[in-house]
Amino acid sequence: MTKVTIVGASLALENMFPRKLTNLIVAALYFCIVFSSPGPVALAQKKTAPVEATPPPVREEFKFGQVDLEVLEQADLLDLRLERDGLVLADESANAYLRRVGQSLIPRGLELERVSWRFRALRDPQPNAFALPNGSVYVSTGLITLVDNESQLAAIIAHELTHVMRRHTYVHNRSNRKKFLTMNVMSAIGAYAPGGVVGAVITAVTTVAPFIMIATIYGYSRDLEREADLKGIDMMISAEYPPEEMVNVMKLLDKDIEGENVRLFYNDHPSLDERIKYLSSYLGARADKVTHQMELNRERAAYFRNMESVMRQDLQLAINAGRFRSAVYLAQRLVDFHDDSENLFWLAESYRALGPRAPQLTEKELTNSAKKDAAKKREKRTVEEEERELLATAAGKDNWQRHQQMAEELYRRALNAENPAPVAHRGLGMLYEKLGRGTDAAAEYEKYLELSPSAIDRERIQRRIVALKEKLN
Amino acid sequence: MFALLVLLTLSGSHQVHAQFLHPKIKSKETTIRRVVVLPAKVNVVRDSMKGPEGMAAESDELSARVETMVAEVLSKQKHVTTLSTTAASTEGDPQQKFNVADFQTKFDDLLPKIMKKRSDVKKGRFSMGDEVLNLNVEKGADAVVFIRGEGKKLTSGKTAFKLLVGGTPAYLRLQIGIVDARNGEVLLYTDPVFTGDPTTAVDRLRKALEKGFKKLPEVKAQ
Repeated sequence: MTKVTIVGASLALENMFPRKLTNLIVAALYFCIVFSSPGPVALAQKKTAPVEATPPPVREEFKFGQVDLEVLEQADLLDLRLERDGLVLADESANAYLRRVGQSLIPRGLELERVSWRFRALRDPQPNAFALPNGSVYVSTGLITLVDNESQLAAIIAHELTHVMRRHTYVHNRSNRKKFLTMNVMSAIGAYAPGGVVGAVITAVTTVAPFIMIATIYGYSRDLEREADLKGIDMMISAEYPPEEMVNVMKLLDKDIEGENVRLFYNDHPSLDERIKYLSSYLGARADKVTHQMELNRERAAYFRNMESVMRQDLQLAINAGRFRSAVYLAQRLVDFHDDSENLFWLAESYRALGPRAPQLTEKELTNSAKKDAAKKREKRTVEEEERELLATAAGKDNWQRHQQMAEELYRRALNAENPAPVAHRGLGMLYEKLGRGTDAAAEYEKYLELSPSAIDRERIQRRIVALKEKLN
Repeated sequence: MFALLVLLTLSGSHQVHAQFLHPKIKSKETTIRRVVVLPAKVNVVRDSMKGPEGMAAESDELSARVETMVAEVLSKQKHVTTLSTTAASTEGDPQQKFNVADFQTKFDDLLPKIMKKRSDVKKGRFSMGDEVLNLNVEKGADAVVFIRGEGKKLTSGKTAFKLLVGGTPAYLRLQIGIVDARNGEVLLYTDPVFTGDPTTAVDRLRKALEKGFKKLPEVKAQ
């Protein structure tokens, strides 16, 4: 029906405009019709019935062409760029853990042309994961910290592995080139984060390979994403991971702590709700038995023990990125697991940084239009300006007082715990400085420097002590 | 983007530039004598009929060229000394590498806010905070220079297409922020732009940079 309409329009236009212009108008019309018609959505909804058999794990028939080799070259360059720019986490045990989980999912003896598997964590607090066609699989610290157990991590990796094994990047690239689907990469980024503030990782990916960025971060086509989800389940079962954790991880991703999941064309392919539906339906049809090993892989404590250091690093990154609500939520989970001095310190830091903001967004703030407005404001205001504005309101003042009080209690608990973390003194110093308690602040800063003489922020703290003392005199 | 296009079209010289100075620089309360230039991040894409394609190797090369040229222009025109960059010192130290990476990210977060109202640099509205001291740059440094840029090179097919139906020309737009090395205040913001192939137009790049730093007070020889 759509094709007929375009051909008809094309003939009519050729009588009115020169051929080149006609082609352009037809291309634009095609683009508009394809992406504005309800066709693909209705089609995907029809497909939610259980799938009896998924395609084989590897696309055997795939032959590399020049276009594919160019994509591969860009992927290799992207690996180098992420490493060079300090975006890859230098935590050997965490990367080894990811490698173990990843390797356990790959079918035994599988050899893929031009693929060399690498599993690494990215220093990015935004929950995200992507795989490059050369076999590099990246999981952000934000996602590692968000998931509950190894099985959920495996679900994410299994999904990404399918994109590589089934050569989705190449397939998608070829298809897009044929369809003449071009887009402005920078506009795409703007659409992804309407505030204009995007993570360093997204910026890096965009730079090196705009196409890879679009496919791996915004998602492939509905069919390819669906294939990755369903094949991912097969791989999880083979590796003895409970497959329903794939559904649980989708639900976790749907939790919009920061109010940033704005539904847009590119990040809604397919929607999380739709994915949860077809995955549940597929799992129901399979009715696999739960083994003892599957139960073990679902253990939360074991996962947290392995990833505790990554989670702490992620909290610092989340605070730096202004993701204060996420920081409080994730730090609380960490303290619930293990309330040692360092974890208490991170929870205190998160509350201090949360300041006058409410710890959770209201339903009204989570509507699409409210999130877009908030993103626009984020683009205009600095964090300090936002805080000043909130402090002018009664609710903001109340939040601020409560959070500073909680932070103080938590810093004190951190200092009274076994092996107290000296940084808690620095945190208290900053808290007191903001409260206008100059003498107490200087004393805490001095204690911090006494206990951590080689601290990286020594000069910064020394300057603060000098400034506070000058003010007091 | 539209504003940029209009600006480029209206500009006969193919170069436009805007620069904003912090009041402390204008009043000479703060003088920039020595700077540390952080690794530039300049990205160019090749715009073809099949959409934009990455130019990773060319972007890296251009980033290095812009970084060197900024140092040269600051030195020749303003007598500002560039101290060794932190890039070399981060090689074997992952913590320092992460520090620099996090600070670059912080600048990337601040940049859209500056871009929204660049003239507010003149009011001293923007700061990266005293965390800048954690960068541990050389002791004598007065300021840290951040360089960002984006550009577009057109393929021959796209150039012909542009001639027929119009469109954005090949260009390079830089965004340079100079930040106080002690308290993180944004002391200068400038965004030189020029039209032409960003990977080959070396002279245009130099001229754009020279104009971009025109308002920065010259350091008097001691």
